[in-house]
Amino acid sequence: MPAPEEVFTTPAGPRGAWLHPAHWAPPLATFALVLGVWELLALHNRYLLPTVGSVIAQLAGHPGTYLANGGDTLAEALPGVAISYAVALLLAVAMSQSRLVMRAVLPAAVVLNVTPLIAIAPALGIALGFGRAPKIVLAGLITFFPTLINTIAGLRSADPQALEVLQTVRASRWDVLWRLQLPSSLPYLFAAARVVVPLGVIGAAISEMVSNGTSSGLGWYINTWSSNSQLDLAWAGIVTLAALGLALTGLVVLVEDRVLRWRGFR
Amino acid sequence: MTLPPGQPVPSAVAPPVGQFGPEDFPGALRSEGIVLKGITKKFPGAHRPTLRDVNLVVDRGEFFTIIGPSGVGKSTLLRVLAGLLEPDEGTVSIFGEAPREASRSKHLGWVPQAPALLPWRNVLDNVRLPLQVNRRAGDNGLDPMEILARLGLEGAARLLPAQLSGGMRQRVAIARAFAISPAVLLMDEPFAALDELTREAVAHQLLELWQSERRTVVFVTHSVAEAVMLSDRVAVMGQGTLLPPLPVPLPRPRPAGVEDAPKFHKLVHQLRHQLKEAWVAGP
Repeated sequence: MPAPEEVFTTPAGPRGAWLHPAHWAPPLATFALVLGVWELLALHNRYLLPTVGSVIAQLAGHPGTYLANGGDTLAEALPGVAISYAVALLLAVAMSQSRLVMRAVLPAAVVLNVTPLIAIAPALGIALGFGRAPKIVLAGLITFFPTLINTIAGLRSADPQALEVLQTVRASRWDVLWRLQLPSSLPYLFAAARVVVPLGVIGAAISEMVSNGTSSGLGWYINTWSSNSQLDLAWAGIVTLAALGLALTGLVVLVEDRVLRWRGFR
Repeated sequence: MTLPPGQPVPSAVAPPVGQFGPEDFPGALRSEGIVLKGITKKFPGAHRPTLRDVNLVVDRGEFFTIIGPSGVGKSTLLRVLAGLLEPDEGTVSIFGEAPREASRSKHLGWVPQAPALLPWRNVLDNVRLPLQVNRRAGDNGLDPMEILARLGLEGAARLLPAQLSGGMRQRVAIARAFAISPAVLLMDEPFAALDELTREAVAHQLLELWQSERRTVVFVTHSVAEAVMLSDRVAVMGQGTLLPPLPVPLPRPRPAGVEDAPKFHKLVHQLRHQLKEAWVAGP
């Protein structure tokens, strides 16, 4: 299995390399192609797909609407992801230290992973009320398992020869955890963050779509205008949701580059 | 040396022969450092024991090397010495202590095959690592900057491991092991990944450091010439047991060009012959 950094990162280049056309031209070409196809389809199927121009006009004409709804979705997603991340980290540490905890927690985590969380979103709304709580919980639940599994893999990724060096001076379990296992797991934690942070936003948006009594958030906005066949509005909401995920992923990558600066020397 | 249990311990360093006089040999290496008696170790599922009744005495301050084909149990023996593995039978004494006690007192320095440096720590912080853990063992370590300087790494103290060459990384690993001023240094094929010239250079620096610090060293390698160059005695391991060690009657410090001396070549030839027999016999 490839290491997470092999899966998720592009090859490291010199500072400012992103200014080179070889860096930005390929994704730009892909986006241009997608938008071109979209526009073509929209021109021939006006009742199925809004034109790119109408979506852009919506976003440019009412930025406050999209920012406010995006803010509401974020206010549900981020606490959910943060709580889920903290709980998964603590559990993964406990599981790495104790086989008993591993045996007790892992099956429950697997059951949670295979449960269709989208299906229980309405039930969460009934159980937790119409406020933010069910959205925060769903965002947390949807991000919990990938974070847990990645953290366990990260803690296990510590160099066994470095571990032997510490064992021959009888380092305590805390020292092994703090000085070797946790720093070794950081690339895995960031790889998880790049996946689960946007996933949390999607989780919160889905919860907004299916929870009764919701009247704000991008999920609610998309659902409402899709139902009313106002496709330019719905798609403007979808684009905002994607932009939000993209911005959060970029933020994670930025923090990752700062924290894991030592990887740049590879 | 292979000894039946209870047998008195003979002196480690053989009397000098040939062109070198007795004054070339350190005289104070006679006291017992490491004693292994009847060490047997069998891994679950293995057809036969990896270690079979291994007996060995390594004297205080001696540089003792184990060579042998892959898979004969050299690294397993070193791990038993380090307390990383428990033997099924037999006893290990390191200056009178069991390996676990010795490691608890930070009397053991371990140099693994790969440098195993922590990539997020700079060179100095990597060398400090064993000093920062198990502080109950007391702070009898050497000054990390001083060891780095003695290994020619003073200018690299603030660099990250990824910024170093393979030889430099391995020197940092040696400095890390020396940092706690261990009584015994256990080295598991530390130069295996280096090219020939680099491994010669690093081996010379190790010898210089050993010459001044005079720690007891148990060294595992595949290279016969390296074994002869570094060691007071060399033992070939085959089929889970040690053959009688061969003394290396070459002067200390090793004079320049000792690799070209006929005695050096004779020792290499003798060991190579033993090694071939062990290799034919298989692990």
